[in-house]
Amino acid sequence: MSVDEETHSHAGFDTLDHQQVYVYTPANAPDSANRPAKRRKVAGVQGSISADGPAQILRFEPLLSGLESSECVALRHQTFERAWLKTETQVQTILDDANEDTLEDVTAFVHSTSKARRFSERVPTGFIVTGPNISSQSPLFRQLSSRLRTEINGPAVVLRSSDASNLKAVLKQLIRDSITQSLSRGDENGLRAEQDGRKLLNYDLETLHSYVEAHGSESVVIAFQDSEAFDSSLISELVKLISSWADRIPFVLLFGIATSLDLFRERLPSSASRLLNGVQFDVEQTSSLLERIFQKAVAGYEVPLRLGSGLVSGLMERQDDHIQSVQSFVAALKYAYMCHFYGNPLSFLCDSSVGDDHPNLIMSHHIEVIRMLPSFRGMLGKLVDNKQLARAKALLKDGKCLQQEIEKSQKSRAILITQLLRAMSLIASSSQEPVEKIGLYVTAFRGELAESEHVKRVLDSIKRMTPDDLLNFIQILSNAIDNGCTETGLAGWADEDDELFPQMRELHSQVSALAVHSIKSGIPIRSSYAIHNKGLRTTVIAQRVQLSYENSTLTDQDKEFTTLVDRLIGHLKVYFSQLANPQELFLNEAWLYDWTLPQKSAFTPRPREAIELALSTPIRYLSCDCCESIEGLSSTHPPTAMLYQMYLETGSLINIFDLWSAFFEMVGGGEEQKCDERDALVMFYRGLADLKSLGMVKQSKKKADHLAKLAWKGL
Amino acid sequence: MAALFALPNELRISSLYARFPCREQQIRSLATLLSVRAAPCRNIILHGLEATGKTSITKALLESLSTEPEAANGTANEDSIHESLRFAIIKSAECITGRHLLEQTVGVVAKAVEWKGAIGRCENLSQLVVELSRLLSSWTTSGEGQHRFVLVFDGIDHQRDAPPTLLQALARLGEIIPSLTTLFLVTSPRPQFLHFPGVPHILFPSYTKSELLLILALQLPSPLLPTGEKDTRETYTRFLSAVYDSLSKHSGRDLLSFRHVASQLWPRFIRPILSGELSPTPFSRLLLANRSLFQDDSVLVSSIISTPPPTSLSQAGTTKTKQHTLANLLPHTSRLLLIASYLASYNPPRLDTVLFMKTSLQKRRKKGGGTALTRTTKASASKSRKISRKLLGPQAFVLERMLAIFHAIKEESRGARGRGSVNGSADMQTAIATLCSLRLLLRVGNADVLDGGARYRVAVGWEVIRNIGRSVGVEVEKWIGD
Repeated sequence: MSVDEETHSHAGFDTLDHQQVYVYTPANAPDSANRPAKRRKVAGVQGSISADGPAQILRFEPLLSGLESSECVALRHQTFERAWLKTETQVQTILDDANEDTLEDVTAFVHSTSKARRFSERVPTGFIVTGPNISSQSPLFRQLSSRLRTEINGPAVVLRSSDASNLKAVLKQLIRDSITQSLSRGDENGLRAEQDGRKLLNYDLETLHSYVEAHGSESVVIAFQDSEAFDSSLISELVKLISSWADRIPFVLLFGIATSLDLFRERLPSSASRLLNGVQFDVEQTSSLLERIFQKAVAGYEVPLRLGSGLVSGLMERQDDHIQSVQSFVAALKYAYMCHFYGNPLSFLCDSSVGDDHPNLIMSHHIEVIRMLPSFRGMLGKLVDNKQLARAKALLKDGKCLQQEIEKSQKSRAILITQLLRAMSLIASSSQEPVEKIGLYVTAFRGELAESEHVKRVLDSIKRMTPDDLLNFIQILSNAIDNGCTETGLAGWADEDDELFPQMRELHSQVSALAVHSIKSGIPIRSSYAIHNKGLRTTVIAQRVQLSYENSTLTDQDKEFTTLVDRLIGHLKVYFSQLANPQELFLNEAWLYDWTLPQKSAFTPRPREAIELALSTPIRYLSCDCCESIEGLSSTHPPTAMLYQMYLETGSLINIFDLWSAFFEMVGGGEEQKCDERDALVMFYRGLADLKSLGMVKQSKKKADHLAKLAWKGL
Repeated sequence: MAALFALPNELRISSLYARFPCREQQIRSLATLLSVRAAPCRNIILHGLEATGKTSITKALLESLSTEPEAANGTANEDSIHESLRFAIIKSAECITGRHLLEQTVGVVAKAVEWKGAIGRCENLSQLVVELSRLLSSWTTSGEGQHRFVLVFDGIDHQRDAPPTLLQALARLGEIIPSLTTLFLVTSPRPQFLHFPGVPHILFPSYTKSELLLILALQLPSPLLPTGEKDTRETYTRFLSAVYDSLSKHSGRDLLSFRHVASQLWPRFIRPILSGELSPTPFSRLLLANRSLFQDDSVLVSSIISTPPPTSLSQAGTTKTKQHTLANLLPHTSRLLLIASYLASYNPPRLDTVLFMKTSLQKRRKKGGGTALTRTTKASASKSRKISRKLLGPQAFVLERMLAIFHAIKEESRGARGRGSVNGSADMQTAIATLCSLRLLLRVGNADVLDGGARYRVAVGWEVIRNIGRSVGVEVEKWIGD
């Protein structure tokens, strides 16, 4: 790191943060010059940068070995802030809406119990099946409790397994929480710990009873957030207790269930489970929620930063394999944004409006960088192939020419993205079975949409259609073109489209004319493909005979219909084959982020593998000269590594003396006596203590002077 | 001057006979033992199984006895002996600790004798004696005549955190405090559990079939037959008898569960009558049409879901809930880990080399699915142990062994080729921790989590595992030894 960078890296450091005592100057003091610069969004970027450019705190490091101007750094930062803010708000609105249905249902349920309460020892209970994603439970229950507190007359308490060790503790918390809820609302006589001159114990539900009577509460809601983690005997005791109080206190129970209702019931004894009178509520599952977020924040029309196919498929695989959690997906998304804007000097070009405002931002070093990009090289290669050598030369030599190309690329990018999204929405709406949206995105951004299974399936389905089906299909397509796609925020493009849409119209009128004709004549129309398909089902010999027979009897209408179908397929094929691969587009590096490595290193650590690797081949981490690349044991390895490699070769019980003699043989070098025995023993002890602290060995109880082997390599 | 001894007012008690049929004898004895001028005694034990009417009869009887003087005021005014009976009931189910029970007792007694003034704390049994005698003496001295106070401990044998001498001390309350009767309602008393001789016991036996039918027939079922009340009553009686013989006789003989089963089955039973297919008169035909009802024992399992979900969910929910099984909600790795845990729990470690080593895999395949070991050791196994391992319950296993099994079955699972390696990754540990917090895996013993020797046990059954196995393309049967 150069000296220059070092000073810059401390730019964000404010001594005031680490000062214990400082002189307080009132905020409304007249001199505003000394105030710390606010991190705020500045409308006129150019103006602000020129005005207090050097004073502004640079949040990002200048790239290109410090050559990058502070304006560009600030611009990158602002672009990041703006881009992420936009995405985050979108995600947040989806997340807020996600539980809306469940919340409404649960609130209605609690209301209904308070109305229709009759004397019964069965406690009304709601089972909220959340799915095994535990991290989504706490926001849900937070929303739930705040909703219930505002809408229900009465306290709502959320219990977690971590603060419920025994019955007494649970009751204490229940009583305290339900009573302080109203105290915070400004009610003073909430807590009446005394009754009839008797001081009540703090876990006596009598307190709650008198509270409920004093406030006329309609229901007391107790929500168990992670019901699986509760001790089942605790739950059954609580249920029995609550049921015996149910004639005086209007209890309603809510259980958050992560696994399944049957497993929950199996854990409860029947004496408790027959006291529950339950209703089941389903929460929107993570996978569908994830798809909605994906559609909006990754595949949306106005997404600032596009994620590449490799990254998306990697993210989705991780979701599928390990964690199904929206929160982790959003974190990964944010990390992708951060990496892109932090590490890519061209990332400010991501916001297409920036380039228009600041034509001078692109400096000579940017030009250098752009000329090194693979996409630039690809473009040049194409130019050379097309024998446009002059143009290629100009791009290489002339900065101005490249500048124009950059501006052009911004436009071509917008066009391509729109085309891709339109094509995706067409496929999604026209396919008969539901399409996996994320898979579709991955294919589209790999540039393989035209040859993909999705398109093939749609085209094959057209061949088998009757005229009515075909009319329907064309109608769906035209509607999709007309209305766009609400999930991704894509507007309809019927006005702009001068190719597919008119063609569809034309085909529609022709097919409908045919259909009307067939209804009049009473002869059904089929395309030759449909007949062909039917012929295929017979035997081989019969098929041949039958095929020629069928072909000869095709009516004129059939033939006409077949040509129409062929034309439709042709149009669609042309439409889909027009789409270019975004990864080949010039300057795609500025707006397409497709690095999987940072994500992997940040989100999927492999501690165990790292330790095993370090111990078995220490050269991978030490990169010292002495070990070179010797596989297996070597006396030059650190003692712990040597011991570990011996350890790998042992059985499940290790004789310590054998281990020691092998170790001493290795360290002491046999006859040469490289090392004193006492020194070797120290190394041995230390190495063994290391292994023990890593949890690999422990004293065996089966045999004296033996160690038990606890860990095997590669698990 | 009225006689010193008088039986309890028959008129009043007979009203109870109607409310609680088949319990005349118990009511009569209890009334005699409780009423002031009959044969009051210090301790009474009422015992009997669940749902035999102990609590409700005691409460009703005491209520009627305590209101007696005022009601009989006009006629028995010439009696110089003014008798008054008061009572307090303490439910042990509502008392969290032994101290709570004592506090509760004092509180309820103070309420019953209309004590005005501060009540001291009651931390142990001696304080209880002091407080109770203070409260009761002020009450007995306040009025003329005979007084008796009845203290009812409901379900005292199930009291949580009870002091060891609780029952014995309560039985001796009557020795210290005059005119106090202590009533213990217990399920089944051990002999001499009060350490006190000569305590009258009143047994509340479980209802027999005829008694159950009589009690249930008193109340008409909720949807009446269209033909009228008389028909309904007739059909209902015969229906009850059929339900008892087919279902309740063998499981759930008590009143509550019998009533529950009957109320669940009745609407389904009379559906053919309501729809007009059958008429109630030839009962045997009705029974025959509904015979599947009496063969299905799923009604006996008390369900925690009673009503269909609310309207907004009912349409979309029914189709959705089918898919929301555990098998397709868990992530892929977690499913495999769960299967591996099951295999580690139900396979003995000595079979691991046979079942999971790659070299032996070939051999097993050739022999057609069954493990090599089952064939060879069939004779010897039958001698030593006949119980299937599935029935013995899950055994604890070391995490390392489960991980090894996980890697063995991972290659077999669907789509194993395309997925990257997961060995040593932190995600695995996260998945295991998640399974533990969902209580699908249980940690055995109190070893440290980081300790390599920490032991686990699977907590889900065969059915669940088989479904999960199918969802990832692993046939679990193949890996189960013996």
